[in-house]
Amino acid sequence: TAAAFDSFRFVIKGSLAGAAVYVAYDQGLLGSGTHGAEALRKAQAALPPAIQEWTSYIGWELPPTPKFDFSPSDSWNKGVQTVMSALSVAPTRACEYTVEGWNYVKDLVK
Amino acid sequence: MASEGELGRKWDRCMADSVVKLGAGFGLGIVFSVIFFKRKTWPIAFGSGMGLGMAYSNCQHDFQSPYLLHGKFVKVS
Repeated sequence: TAAAFDSFRFVIKGSLAGAAVYVAYDQGLLGSGTHGAEALRKAQAALPPAIQEWTSYIGWELPPTPKFDFSPSDSWNKGVQTVMSALSVAPTRACEYTVEGWNYVKDLVK
Repeated sequence: MASEGELGRKWDRCMADSVVKLGAGFGLGIVFSVIFFKRKTWPIAFGSGMGLGMAYSNCQHDFQSPYLLHGKFVKVS
């Protein structure tokens, strides 16, 4: 009976592990890049209503969750443009700040 | 859809897929660690590593195949 119980336990464990792997495969988590990106989009769409439902069930008042519509390439490109425009106006700004600082020091010394 | 945005879209797909694969590998690693390996840490690391490796392979395939169009399967009933 101990052997039967052990094999029964092994079958249960194997079933649970197999079910986990199958669910992951069925949701497209283990497939190509497009499937993975699609799965992330679906999860992002499903998360705020789920959080809202759970917090209302528990009774907490949370502020509305921000939208996670995040594009890494857009953020990177915006960052590069910001840095480059800052670098392009940097010499002019440096001159202006130097003149202002010099006038300030002159006024202090007067 | 502008063609010059295609590279950016590929990077976005790559990043999203990396997150999904890492999460799935991590989750499956936890499941296997709890069920079979007496809550050891190495299955979690193994699963996460496998997920990252799958994501890297998918990204490489996506970047090296410039002429494939990404469409959707539409089931005709």
